Amino acid sequence: MTEGLGLVGIVLVSHSAALAEGAAELAQQIAGGATVVPAGGVEGGGLGTSTDRIEAAIGDADAGSGVLLIPDLGSAVLSARAVLADLAGEATARLVDAPFVEGAVAAAVAAGGGADLDAVAQAAEEARDAAKF
Amino acid sequence: MPPSSEDGDADAVAERSVLLPKPLHARPAGQLAKLAGQHKENTIELVAGEKKANARSVLAVMAMGAVTGTEVAVTVTGPDAPAVADAAAEILSSEEAANA
Repeated sequence: MTEGLGLVGIVLVSHSAALAEGAAELAQQIAGGATVVPAGGVEGGGLGTSTDRIEAAIGDADAGSGVLLIPDLGSAVLSARAVLADLAGEATARLVDAPFVEGAVAAAVAAGGGADLDAVAQAAEEARDAAKF
Repeated sequence: MPPSSEDGDADAVAERSVLLPKPLHARPAGQLAKLAGQHKENTIELVAGEKKANARSVLAVMAMGAVTGTEVAVTVTGPDAPAVADAAAEILSSEEAANA
């Protein structure tokens, strides 16, 4: 395992820049050492998802071991899929169906521990079944 | 013949008990999950009262809701059980992450 280098990256795709940034900050704090990049909102500051921001975030998160995308709601999935279709072959990136906050935290902890893309995606998916208390 | 429970044995078991000097919040939960990820051949089980969690799951550890003064039992099974149990106990007994 190479600390801080070659880890799986995580991109949080949200309609809200503040939501993506806050969730990324939280996940990064808990995981310590993981790369979690927010891709929220649209140019001009409104709510929505931007394929440009998602594509840039994937580039920032990619350290050579792949990137996991976690969408918040509905059209975040469509925007992320559009970017993945565009990037086909250029980057190893995967979209996962997981709760936004819990999935981000679980994925960041797994990625920070050096897990591969399959294991990071699985950690995010398993977050769906984790009770809050 | 069943293997003996010595250090280096895949079935080795080590137990520690920690009285939490701080709540088991997000940051120490993350540290425990990271430790578990670094020692995949070992299983780290935590028990606090009626709550149980595998340290591998940061969400499960946080969901234990263990507060200051809670007795947490750590059971590690695997080849590095004693060392991993010591590391887990150190995370749990550290005062540092009190606000995390």
